Amino acid sequence: MATGEFLGFLNLSWEAVAMLVISGVLMWLGIAKKVEPVLLVPIGFGCMLANIPLGGAAEAGGFLAVLREAGIKTELFPLLIFIGIGAMIDFEPFLQRPYTIFLGAAAQFGIFATFILAYFLGDGWLQVLDFSLKDAAAIGIIGSADGPTSIYVATTLQSKYTAAIVVAAYSYMALVPIIQPPIIKAMCSKKERALKMPSVAGTISQRTKILFPIITVLVVGLLAPKATPLIGCLMFGNLLRACGVVERLSLAAQNELANIVTILLGITVGGMMAGTEFLRPESIFVFMLGIVAFSLDTVAGVLLGKLMSVLSGRKINPMIGACGISAFPMSSRVVQKLGLEANPYNHLLMHAAGANVAGQIASVVAGGVMLMLVPMFI
Amino acid sequence: MLNALWIVLLGMAIIFAVLGILLLVMILLGKLLKPREKQEKKG
Repeated sequence: MATGEFLGFLNLSWEAVAMLVISGVLMWLGIAKKVEPVLLVPIGFGCMLANIPLGGAAEAGGFLAVLREAGIKTELFPLLIFIGIGAMIDFEPFLQRPYTIFLGAAAQFGIFATFILAYFLGDGWLQVLDFSLKDAAAIGIIGSADGPTSIYVATTLQSKYTAAIVVAAYSYMALVPIIQPPIIKAMCSKKERALKMPSVAGTISQRTKILFPIITVLVVGLLAPKATPLIGCLMFGNLLRACGVVERLSLAAQNELANIVTILLGITVGGMMAGTEFLRPESIFVFMLGIVAFSLDTVAGVLLGKLMSVLSGRKINPMIGACGISAFPMSSRVVQKLGLEANPYNHLLMHAAGANVAGQIASVVAGGVMLMLVPMFI
Repeated sequence: MLNALWIVLLGMAIIFAVLGILLLVMILLGKLLKPREKQEKKG
Protein backbone atom coordinates (compact mmCIF):
# COMPACT_ATOMS: atom_id res chain seq x y z
CA MET A 1 0.00 0.00 0.00
CA ALA A 2 1.40 3.42 -0.99
CA THR A 3 1.93 5.93 1.82
CA GLY A 4 -0.36 8.36 -0.02
CA GLU A 5 -3.27 6.02 0.59
CA PHE A 6 -3.18 6.25 4.36
CA LEU A 7 -1.33 9.47 5.23
CA GLY A 8 -3.83 12.31 5.26
CA PHE A 9 -1.40 15.20 4.85
CA LEU A 10 -0.10 13.76 1.57
CA ASN A 11 -3.61 14.16 0.19
CA LEU A 12 -4.18 17.76 1.26
CA SER A 13 -5.64 19.85 -1.56
CA TRP A 14 -5.67 23.67 -1.52
CA GLU A 15 -9.44 23.52 -0.96
CA ALA A 16 -8.99 21.35 2.13
CA VAL A 17 -6.28 23.67 3.51
CA ALA A 18 -8.47 26.74 2.91
CA MET A 19 -11.42 25.08 4.65
CA LEU A 20 -9.25 24.03 7.59
CA VAL A 21 -8.23 27.68 7.96
CA ILE A 22 -11.90 28.75 7.72
CA SER A 23 -12.83 26.17 10.37
CA GLY A 24 -10.13 27.63 12.61
CA VAL A 25 -11.50 31.15 12.06
CA LEU A 26 -15.04 30.00 12.91
CA MET A 27 -13.86 28.35 16.14
CA TRP A 28 -11.74 31.41 17.00
CA LEU A 29 -14.73 33.71 16.45
CA GLY A 30 -16.86 31.52 18.69
CA ILE A 31 -14.34 30.89 21.47
CA ALA A 32 -12.17 34.03 21.58
CA LYS A 33 -14.66 36.63 20.32
CA LYS A 34 -17.80 34.98 21.76
CA VAL A 35 -19.64 35.44 18.42
CA GLU A 36 -22.56 32.96 18.49
CA PRO A 37 -20.31 30.36 20.19
CA VAL A 38 -23.17 27.87 20.57
CA LEU A 39 -23.27 27.57 16.79
CA LEU A 40 -19.87 28.58 15.50
CA VAL A 41 -17.91 26.15 17.70
CA PRO A 42 -19.81 23.03 16.49
CA ILE A 43 -19.92 24.35 12.90
CA GLY A 44 -16.18 25.10 12.92
CA PHE A 45 -15.38 21.68 14.38
CA GLY A 46 -17.63 19.87 11.90
CA CYS A 47 -15.97 21.80 9.07
CA MET A 48 -12.55 20.70 10.31
CA LEU A 49 -13.64 17.04 10.45
CA ALA A 50 -15.11 17.18 6.96
CA ASN A 51 -11.89 18.51 5.44
CA ILE A 52 -9.37 16.07 6.84
CA PRO A 53 -8.31 14.00 3.82
CA LEU A 54 -9.10 10.26 4.06
CA GLY A 55 -10.94 10.93 7.33
CA GLY A 56 -14.22 9.93 5.73
CA ALA A 57 -16.37 11.67 8.36
CA ALA A 58 -18.47 13.48 5.74
CA GLU A 59 -18.27 10.84 3.01
CA ALA A 60 -20.96 8.23 2.38
CA GLY A 61 -21.29 6.10 5.51
CA GLY A 62 -19.32 8.55 7.68
CA PHE A 63 -21.05 9.81 10.82
CA LEU A 64 -21.48 13.37 9.51
CA ALA A 65 -23.04 12.04 6.31
CA VAL A 66 -25.38 9.85 8.37
CA LEU A 67 -26.39 12.87 10.47
CA ARG A 68 -26.94 14.90 7.30
CA GLU A 69 -29.21 12.22 5.86
CA ALA A 70 -31.11 11.75 9.11
CA GLY A 71 -31.42 15.31 10.34
CA ILE A 72 -30.99 17.80 7.52
CA LYS A 73 -32.35 16.02 4.44
CA THR A 74 -35.39 14.91 6.41
CA GLU A 75 -35.72 18.52 7.77
CA LEU A 76 -35.90 17.05 11.27
CA PHE A 77 -33.20 19.13 13.02
CA PRO A 78 -34.55 22.61 12.16
CA LEU A 79 -38.04 21.53 13.22
CA LEU A 80 -36.83 20.11 16.54
CA ILE A 81 -34.84 23.31 17.15
CA PHE A 82 -38.06 25.26 16.59
CA ILE A 83 -39.78 23.39 19.43
CA GLY A 84 -36.99 24.60 21.71
CA ILE A 85 -37.14 28.16 20.36
CA GLY A 86 -40.92 28.24 20.79
CA ALA A 87 -40.54 27.16 24.41
CA MET A 88 -37.98 29.93 24.99
CA ILE A 89 -40.02 32.80 23.51
CA ASP A 90 -42.41 34.85 25.60
CA PHE A 91 -44.96 36.30 23.18
CA GLU A 92 -46.40 38.70 25.78
CA PRO A 93 -44.64 41.84 24.40
CA PHE A 94 -46.15 41.05 21.00
CA LEU A 95 -49.61 40.23 22.36
CA GLN A 96 -49.60 43.60 24.15
CA ARG A 97 -48.76 45.33 20.85
CA PRO A 98 -50.36 43.17 18.14
CA TYR A 99 -49.96 45.93 15.51
CA THR A 100 -46.23 45.06 15.43
CA ILE A 101 -47.15 42.04 13.28
CA PHE A 102 -47.10 44.41 10.28
CA LEU A 103 -43.55 45.48 11.10
CA GLY A 104 -42.63 41.79 11.01
CA ALA A 105 -44.34 41.45 7.63
CA ALA A 106 -42.61 44.50 6.14
CA ALA A 107 -39.19 43.36 7.32
CA GLN A 108 -39.48 40.24 5.16
CA PHE A 109 -39.09 42.40 2.05
CA GLY A 110 -35.34 41.74 2.05
CA ILE A 111 -36.06 38.05 1.38
CA PHE A 112 -37.94 38.79 -1.81
CA ALA A 113 -35.67 41.62 -3.00
CA THR A 114 -32.60 39.41 -2.56
CA PHE A 115 -34.39 36.52 -4.25
CA ILE A 116 -35.04 38.61 -7.35
CA LEU A 117 -31.47 39.97 -7.32
CA ALA A 118 -30.01 36.44 -7.10
CA TYR A 119 -32.27 35.22 -9.88
CA PHE A 120 -31.32 38.25 -11.99
CA LEU A 121 -27.61 37.35 -11.59
CA GLY A 122 -28.37 33.69 -12.28
CA ASP A 123 -30.70 31.89 -14.63
CA GLY A 124 -33.23 34.74 -14.74
CA TRP A 125 -31.24 37.25 -16.80
CA LEU A 126 -27.44 37.69 -16.67
CA GLN A 127 -26.56 34.00 -16.19
CA VAL A 128 -23.16 34.92 -14.70
CA LEU A 129 -23.81 32.69 -11.66
CA ASP A 130 -25.26 29.21 -11.38
CA PHE A 131 -28.41 30.31 -9.49
CA SER A 132 -31.65 28.56 -10.45
CA LEU A 133 -35.05 29.85 -9.30
CA LYS A 134 -34.88 27.42 -6.35
CA ASP A 135 -31.34 28.50 -5.43
CA ALA A 136 -32.37 32.17 -5.60
CA ALA A 137 -35.32 31.51 -3.28
CA ALA A 138 -33.09 29.64 -0.84
CA ILE A 139 -30.55 32.49 -0.90
CA GLY A 140 -33.29 35.07 -0.36
CA ILE A 141 -34.46 33.22 2.73
CA ILE A 142 -31.20 34.23 4.48
CA GLY A 143 -33.19 37.44 5.00
CA SER A 144 -35.54 35.58 7.34
CA ALA A 145 -32.70 36.12 9.84
CA ASP A 146 -33.63 32.77 11.25
CA GLY A 147 -31.28 29.77 11.06
CA PRO A 148 -33.81 26.91 11.24
CA THR A 149 -36.08 28.54 8.62
CA SER A 150 -33.07 29.02 6.31
CA ILE A 151 -32.07 25.36 6.69
CA TYR A 152 -35.63 24.13 6.24
CA VAL A 153 -36.32 26.16 3.08
CA ALA A 154 -32.88 25.58 1.50
CA THR A 155 -33.15 21.82 2.13
CA THR A 156 -36.73 21.53 0.93
CA LEU A 157 -35.85 23.43 -2.26
CA GLN A 158 -32.76 21.18 -2.63
CA SER A 159 -30.43 24.12 -3.16
CA LYS A 160 -26.81 23.41 -4.07
CA TYR A 161 -25.74 26.15 -1.67
CA THR A 162 -27.41 24.95 1.52
CA ALA A 163 -24.16 24.95 3.53
CA ALA A 164 -23.19 28.48 2.45
CA ILE A 165 -26.74 29.72 3.07
CA VAL A 166 -26.83 28.28 6.59
CA VAL A 167 -23.41 29.63 7.54
CA ALA A 168 -24.31 33.05 6.09
CA ALA A 169 -27.65 33.12 7.96
CA TYR A 170 -26.08 32.30 11.33
CA SER A 171 -23.07 34.58 10.78
CA TYR A 172 -25.19 37.61 9.90
CA MET A 173 -27.53 36.95 12.83
CA ALA A 174 -24.48 37.29 15.05
CA LEU A 175 -23.51 40.46 13.16
CA VAL A 176 -26.90 42.19 13.59
CA PRO A 177 -25.40 44.62 16.17
CA ILE A 178 -22.93 45.72 13.47
CA ILE A 179 -25.22 45.62 10.40
CA GLN A 180 -28.31 47.40 11.74
CA PRO A 181 -27.13 50.53 13.65
CA PRO A 182 -25.65 52.44 10.66
CA ILE A 183 -28.79 51.76 8.59
CA ILE A 184 -31.12 52.83 11.40
CA LYS A 185 -29.05 55.95 12.12
CA ALA A 186 -29.04 56.87 8.42
CA MET A 187 -32.81 56.52 8.23
CA CYS A 188 -33.91 58.00 11.59
CA SER A 189 -32.97 61.46 12.86
CA LYS A 190 -31.83 61.85 16.48
CA LYS A 191 -35.25 63.32 17.28
CA GLU A 192 -36.94 60.20 15.91
CA ARG A 193 -34.57 57.88 17.78
CA ALA A 194 -35.24 59.78 21.01
CA LEU A 195 -39.02 59.34 20.63
CA LYS A 196 -40.43 57.70 23.75
CA MET A 197 -43.24 55.20 23.43
CA PRO A 198 -46.07 55.06 25.98
CA SER A 199 -45.94 51.96 28.18
CA VAL A 200 -48.65 49.37 27.66
CA ALA A 201 -51.09 49.00 30.53
CA GLY A 202 -52.24 45.59 31.74
CA THR A 203 -51.00 42.06 31.30
CA ILE A 204 -52.07 39.30 28.97
CA SER A 205 -54.30 36.64 30.48
CA GLN A 206 -53.19 33.02 30.74
CA ARG A 207 -56.12 32.01 28.54
CA THR A 208 -54.97 34.30 25.70
CA LYS A 209 -51.41 33.01 26.01
CA ILE A 210 -52.67 29.42 25.67
CA LEU A 211 -55.03 30.15 22.78
CA PHE A 212 -52.46 32.22 20.86
CA PRO A 213 -50.22 29.32 19.68
CA ILE A 214 -53.22 27.16 18.79
CA ILE A 215 -54.95 29.90 16.81
CA THR A 216 -51.72 30.94 15.09
CA VAL A 217 -51.15 27.38 13.83
CA LEU A 218 -54.72 27.13 12.59
CA VAL A 219 -54.71 30.51 10.82
CA VAL A 220 -51.23 30.24 9.30
CA GLY A 221 -51.59 26.51 8.53
CA LEU A 222 -54.93 26.91 6.79
CA LEU A 223 -53.82 29.93 4.75
CA ALA A 224 -50.18 29.00 4.03
CA PRO A 225 -50.06 25.21 4.53
CA LYS A 226 -46.39 24.86 3.56
CA ALA A 227 -45.51 26.82 6.70
CA THR A 228 -47.32 24.28 8.91
CA PRO A 229 -44.30 22.19 10.02
CA LEU A 230 -42.30 25.31 10.99
CA ILE A 231 -45.08 27.28 12.65
CA GLY A 232 -46.44 24.05 14.16
CA CYS A 233 -43.19 23.19 15.94
CA LEU A 234 -42.60 26.80 17.02
CA MET A 235 -46.08 27.10 18.49
CA PHE A 236 -46.03 23.59 20.00
CA GLY A 237 -42.96 24.63 21.98
CA ASN A 238 -44.71 27.84 22.99
CA LEU A 239 -47.83 25.97 24.08
CA LEU A 240 -45.69 23.79 26.36
CA ARG A 241 -44.46 27.02 27.98
CA ALA A 242 -47.78 28.87 28.08
CA CYS A 243 -50.12 26.14 29.29
CA GLY A 244 -48.36 25.91 32.65
CA VAL A 245 -49.16 22.24 33.26
CA VAL A 246 -46.15 20.62 31.58
CA GLU A 247 -43.30 22.61 33.07
CA ARG A 248 -41.01 19.57 32.86
CA LEU A 249 -41.58 19.26 29.10
CA SER A 250 -41.19 23.01 28.61
CA LEU A 251 -37.85 22.99 30.42
CA ALA A 252 -36.74 19.90 28.49
CA ALA A 253 -37.59 21.63 25.19
CA GLN A 254 -35.75 24.82 26.23
CA ASN A 255 -32.67 23.03 27.52
CA GLU A 256 -32.04 19.36 26.73
CA LEU A 257 -33.81 19.20 23.35
CA ALA A 258 -32.52 22.57 22.12
CA ASN A 259 -28.98 21.86 23.30
CA ILE A 260 -28.73 18.34 21.88
CA VAL A 261 -30.16 19.32 18.51
CA THR A 262 -27.94 22.43 18.39
CA ILE A 263 -24.86 20.22 18.83
CA LEU A 264 -26.01 17.80 16.13
CA LEU A 265 -27.17 20.54 13.77
CA GLY A 266 -24.00 22.59 14.20
CA ILE A 267 -21.59 19.75 13.61
CA THR A 268 -23.66 18.48 10.66
CA VAL A 269 -23.77 21.91 9.00
CA GLY A 270 -20.00 22.14 9.49
CA GLY A 271 -19.74 18.70 7.91
CA MET A 272 -21.47 20.07 4.81
CA MET A 273 -18.59 22.51 4.25
CA ALA A 274 -16.33 20.21 2.24
CA GLY A 275 -13.86 22.35 0.29
CA THR A 276 -14.66 21.00 -3.16
CA GLU A 277 -18.35 21.84 -2.73
CA PHE A 278 -18.06 25.01 -0.64
CA LEU A 279 -15.25 26.93 -2.34
CA ARG A 280 -17.03 28.20 -5.43
CA PRO A 281 -17.49 31.81 -6.60
CA GLU A 282 -21.21 31.35 -5.98
CA SER A 283 -20.60 30.81 -2.24
CA ILE A 284 -18.98 34.25 -2.01
CA PHE A 285 -22.02 35.74 -3.77
CA VAL A 286 -24.31 33.89 -1.34
CA PHE A 287 -22.54 35.72 1.49
CA MET A 288 -22.75 39.07 -0.31
CA LEU A 289 -26.45 38.59 -1.07
CA GLY A 290 -27.03 37.61 2.56
CA ILE A 291 -25.91 41.00 3.80
CA VAL A 292 -28.10 42.67 1.15
CA ALA A 293 -31.06 40.68 2.50
CA PHE A 294 -30.42 41.72 6.12
CA SER A 295 -29.95 45.38 5.11
CA LEU A 296 -33.10 45.56 2.97
CA ASP A 297 -35.11 43.86 5.74
CA THR A 298 -33.99 46.62 8.09
CA VAL A 299 -34.76 49.38 5.58
CA ALA A 300 -38.26 48.04 4.88
CA GLY A 301 -39.03 47.59 8.59
CA VAL A 302 -37.91 51.12 9.47
CA LEU A 303 -39.87 52.59 6.54
CA LEU A 304 -43.10 50.98 7.76
CA GLY A 305 -42.15 52.06 11.30
CA LYS A 306 -41.95 55.64 10.04
CA LEU A 307 -45.35 55.36 8.39
CA MET A 308 -46.89 53.88 11.54
CA SER A 309 -45.22 56.60 13.61
CA VAL A 310 -46.88 59.33 11.52
CA LEU A 311 -50.26 57.57 11.50
CA SER A 312 -50.16 57.06 15.28
CA GLY A 313 -49.36 60.73 15.97
CA ARG A 314 -45.72 60.03 16.88
CA LYS A 315 -46.56 57.39 19.47
CA ILE A 316 -44.45 54.73 17.76
CA ASN A 317 -40.68 55.00 17.51
CA PRO A 318 -39.84 54.11 13.88
CA MET A 319 -36.69 52.27 14.98
CA ILE A 320 -38.73 49.34 16.30
CA GLY A 321 -39.52 48.52 12.66
CA ALA A 322 -35.95 47.26 12.34
CA CYS A 323 -36.77 44.50 14.85
CA GLY A 324 -39.28 42.97 12.44
CA ILE A 325 -36.22 41.28 10.95
CA SER A 326 -36.55 38.47 13.53
CA ALA A 327 -32.97 37.73 14.79
CA PHE A 328 -34.38 37.51 18.30
CA PRO A 329 -33.23 39.04 20.66
CA MET A 330 -30.26 40.78 19.04
CA SER A 331 -32.20 43.40 17.08
CA SER A 332 -34.30 44.34 20.16
CA ARG A 333 -31.08 45.03 22.04
CA VAL A 334 -29.75 47.13 19.15
CA VAL A 335 -32.87 49.33 19.18
CA GLN A 336 -32.84 49.62 22.98
CA LYS A 337 -29.20 50.76 22.84
CA LEU A 338 -29.83 53.30 20.07
CA GLY A 339 -32.86 54.63 21.93
CA LEU A 340 -30.84 55.13 25.11
CA GLU A 341 -28.03 56.81 23.18
CA ALA A 342 -30.46 59.39 21.81
CA ASN A 343 -32.36 59.85 25.08
CA PRO A 344 -31.11 58.33 28.36
CA TYR A 345 -34.73 57.88 29.54
CA ASN A 346 -35.93 56.14 26.40
CA HIS A 347 -36.45 52.44 27.19
CA LEU A 348 -37.70 50.72 24.05
CA LEU A 349 -36.76 47.11 24.86
CA MET A 350 -40.28 45.69 25.39
CA HIS A 351 -41.70 47.55 22.38
CA ALA A 352 -38.79 46.31 20.27
CA ALA A 353 -39.23 42.76 21.62
CA GLY A 354 -42.88 42.86 20.47
CA ALA A 355 -41.79 43.62 16.90
CA ASN A 356 -38.97 41.12 17.21
CA VAL A 357 -41.17 38.12 18.08
CA ALA A 358 -43.69 39.29 15.46
CA GLY A 359 -40.77 39.07 13.03
CA GLN A 360 -40.17 35.50 14.16
CA ILE A 361 -43.73 34.54 13.15
CA ALA A 362 -43.51 36.57 9.92
CA SER A 363 -40.22 34.95 8.88
CA VAL A 364 -41.74 31.48 9.29
CA VAL A 365 -44.73 32.54 7.19
CA ALA A 366 -42.35 33.99 4.58
CA GLY A 367 -40.49 30.65 4.44
CA GLY A 368 -43.78 28.80 3.93
CA VAL A 369 -44.90 31.27 1.27
CA MET A 370 -41.63 30.83 -0.61
CA LEU A 371 -42.03 27.03 -0.49
CA MET A 372 -45.59 27.41 -1.77
CA LEU A 373 -44.88 29.85 -4.61
CA VAL A 374 -41.56 28.68 -6.08
CA PRO A 375 -42.77 25.23 -7.28
CA MET A 376 -45.82 26.94 -8.83
CA PHE A 377 -43.62 29.06 -11.11
CA ILE A 378 -41.08 26.45 -12.23
CA MET B 1 -37.74 36.90 -14.75
CA LEU B 2 -41.45 37.65 -14.91
CA ASN B 3 -42.03 34.54 -12.79
CA ALA B 4 -39.72 35.92 -10.11
CA LEU B 5 -41.56 39.26 -10.12
CA TRP B 6 -44.84 37.43 -9.60
CA ILE B 7 -43.33 35.52 -6.68
CA VAL B 8 -42.22 38.80 -5.07
CA LEU B 9 -45.59 40.49 -5.51
CA LEU B 10 -47.67 37.50 -4.47
CA GLY B 11 -45.27 36.62 -1.65
CA MET B 12 -45.45 40.00 0.06
CA ALA B 13 -49.22 40.18 -0.50
CA ILE B 14 -49.77 36.74 1.04
CA ILE B 15 -47.55 37.52 4.05
CA PHE B 16 -49.47 40.74 4.81
CA ALA B 17 -52.80 38.97 4.23
CA VAL B 18 -51.99 35.97 6.47
CA LEU B 19 -50.61 38.12 9.28
CA GLY B 20 -53.45 40.63 8.91
CA ILE B 21 -55.99 37.84 9.31
CA LEU B 22 -54.08 36.53 12.32
CA LEU B 23 -54.17 40.02 13.86
CA LEU B 24 -57.91 40.26 13.19
CA VAL B 25 -58.55 36.88 14.81
CA MET B 26 -56.45 37.86 17.84
CA ILE B 27 -58.36 41.15 18.22
CA LEU B 28 -61.70 39.33 17.98
CA LEU B 29 -60.52 36.75 20.48
CA GLY B 30 -59.39 39.51 22.84
CA LYS B 31 -62.81 41.13 22.63
CA LEU B 32 -64.53 37.80 23.28
CA LEU B 33 -62.32 36.92 26.23
CA LYS B 34 -62.31 40.29 28.02
CA PRO B 35 -65.95 40.26 29.26
CA ARG B 36 -65.52 36.69 30.56
CA GLU B 37 -62.33 37.59 32.37
CA LYS B 38 -63.92 40.67 33.93
CA GLN B 39 -66.85 38.51 35.09
CA GLU B 40 -64.47 35.93 36.56
CA LYS B 41 -62.59 38.68 38.45
CA LYS B 42 -65.87 40.07 39.86
CA GLY B 43 -66.98 36.57 40.83
